[in-house]
Amino acid sequence: MHPFTYQRATTPAQAVAAVAPAPGAAFVAGGTSQLDLMKEDVLRPSLLVDVTALPLTTISALNGGLRLGAGVSNTAAALHPEVAARYPAVSEALLAGASTQIRNMASLGGNPLQRTRCPYFRDPAQACNKREPGSGCAALQGINKVHALFGASNSCVATHPSDLAVALAALDAQVQVTGPNGPRTIAFPDLHRLPGDTPQQDTTLAHGELITSIDLPAFTGRSHYLKVRERASYAFALVSCAVALEMEGQKIRRARVALGGVAHKPWRVPAAEALLAGKKPSEKLFRAAAEAAFADAKPLEHNAYKIPMGRNLMERALLETSGLQPLQGPAGTAFAASVGGVSGE
Amino acid sequence: MATCYPPCAVPGSAAGRARVARSPHIPGCFAYAGLNLTCSMSDEPRLPLGEPAPDCLLPNGRYLHELRGQPVLLAFAPEEWNPAHAHQSTIFTQLLGAFDAGSSAPEAVVSCWHSLSCHGPVAAQFGVAGQRALLLLDEQGRLRWQTTIRPGHELRTGQVLAALEALRPDAPAPCAAAGEAAAGAALAPAGGGLSRRTFVTATLATAALLLLVGAAEAAGPVSPTETQPPMPAPEAATVPVTLTINGEAHRLEVEPRVVLLDALRENLHLTGTKKGCDHGQCGACTVHLDGHSALSCLTLAVMSEGRKITTIEGLAQGETLHPMQAAFVKHDAFQCGYCTPGQIMAATALVQDKQRRSAAEIREAMSGNLCRCAAYPNIIAAIQEIQTA
Repeated sequence: MHPFTYQRATTPAQAVAAVAPAPGAAFVAGGTSQLDLMKEDVLRPSLLVDVTALPLTTISALNGGLRLGAGVSNTAAALHPEVAARYPAVSEALLAGASTQIRNMASLGGNPLQRTRCPYFRDPAQACNKREPGSGCAALQGINKVHALFGASNSCVATHPSDLAVALAALDAQVQVTGPNGPRTIAFPDLHRLPGDTPQQDTTLAHGELITSIDLPAFTGRSHYLKVRERASYAFALVSCAVALEMEGQKIRRARVALGGVAHKPWRVPAAEALLAGKKPSEKLFRAAAEAAFADAKPLEHNAYKIPMGRNLMERALLETSGLQPLQGPAGTAFAASVGGVSGE
Repeated sequence: MATCYPPCAVPGSAAGRARVARSPHIPGCFAYAGLNLTCSMSDEPRLPLGEPAPDCLLPNGRYLHELRGQPVLLAFAPEEWNPAHAHQSTIFTQLLGAFDAGSSAPEAVVSCWHSLSCHGPVAAQFGVAGQRALLLLDEQGRLRWQTTIRPGHELRTGQVLAALEALRPDAPAPCAAAGEAAAGAALAPAGGGLSRRTFVTATLATAALLLLVGAAEAAGPVSPTETQPPMPAPEAATVPVTLTINGEAHRLEVEPRVVLLDALRENLHLTGTKKGCDHGQCGACTVHLDGHSALSCLTLAVMSEGRKITTIEGLAQGETLHPMQAAFVKHDAFQCGYCTPGQIMAATALVQDKQRRSAAEIREAMSGNLCRCAAYPNIIAAIQEIQTA
């Protein structure tokens, strides 16, 4: 790990003032992904500004929704009774991610900002435009099994690893940010960007901008998160799906679906969402929506398996959210979110 | 006699790390989804024993041939800084320092570069490709001993000492004595009954001479093959930190990059907390921070100030084991025991909420703690007993 200097901030303004003028500076909260990448020599910040002492660790009511402080731990958010009851997709996404220890350490503000798990990004001996712009993309012709189906470019085919981000995209959460040019609000689907020619930029945040809260809008529908992974627990998603479903009588008033593990950002599927609106839930409808969602998928050499897997997963997530099929475990737990069950029982 | 070089900086210092040579490719090394599943470093150092070592420009700007007339230990290691490696470098250099090259050169100077990159051009000349390796050259610059340190292994100090001993003019046969048995005999401390740590410390205490060269001169000319410019690194300044561990305040000076795990083990000698993967994948380093389980390998020591830290050493009350420790013993919930402190810390944090969990729920909650001996059924039995007690 390269040497760096360390500062502890006590207010968001102080943290921003410390990071914004220093190009090599970064915020640090849970550090679970960041320190790992620093040990791998992928990240080399010259200054770390500790934001764990900032007063951003509460969950409060806001306009019929919830304001989740950016410093709230993944565990605290997932187990919060209001979150688990009203936004089970959020709790399910959080609890189906990482391990108990990592969830205890990780913060809600940091989670969506974690870097890709592309193995070429994480190995400084490999070409990676995200890590070293202009060096090329080793994944493009390499083992691209865990890579993107949508929105990729010749510069980068990485996917975004956060489970939480997928749920927040489906729920149209809002991200409150403060930075050198003052506060602003970002709609969650606009927080992350596609790689294009500048894959080194994961998000639309400017240097020195700090997430202060994630706001969940008022929501009275059902939500659910479903994830396929290679191990029963403690693994990143191969493909995942978050659904937010609002009903009107027997019919779907509005459906929002976000896919994880398939793009550089949580991948909303507007064509499928439009197809679902105003219809009565059925297996046939959900199958058609899943077909529509993956119609434009562009597989690489090793990741075409994600297309049928993703279609099946999305169909099942819709069936379970609508109640046509039972959840596999109690809503709001890792057991509801894990395809194939948890822990080999 | 040989040229006398200025002593190098303390191993592990910024000067010692200043050269960064990147490998364009590490053969066979592939990390998948953050897990280093395989890292097959198949290439062994290829230089035959007894052959003259190739001359090369060293990171300090000098040529290897300039060091003829004294034994030279070339230590190849990744540039990645690691307190364990730095500690080992200290051991190597002190062993070299303590080594008396013989009556012919009482003022002999020994040399050690502790930060030769195992991906760099010098490494390539010695057939080292990515692996940690140690090579010993004699006074004539011939290769007399070499060893590769496999991923996940550490070199035994005795091997280095035995190799050095074999260089003595009266040694029975060059390198033949470089075995662990010989090393053990040479190093065996009087009295016995010492722990491994005490043993190493006792060995080091005999090191009288510490005269090193090389790394301090890292600001010198660079080999033209080293195209990667060195990262301008800030000085490795330490900061004062007060850590509250098991109810006791400890004041120490650490660099900001030191993680809690290393501060516990290396600075405070609380070695109950184990270093497994060092990347947050195995859970061996689990401690409690403010009552919650956390990974000490991914927590900076400086960020732990003001938090209540509990380690495995803090669970027992005197000679009375914590109930979870007793349950692990009763249910034989370990084999080799390396993951056990982390398992117990995760388990004690888990049962604090007094919930009755099913075996499946325990498995899910404990999935961050790997046990390669696969004692999982017994670990679950131990936890189930405590949560129903």
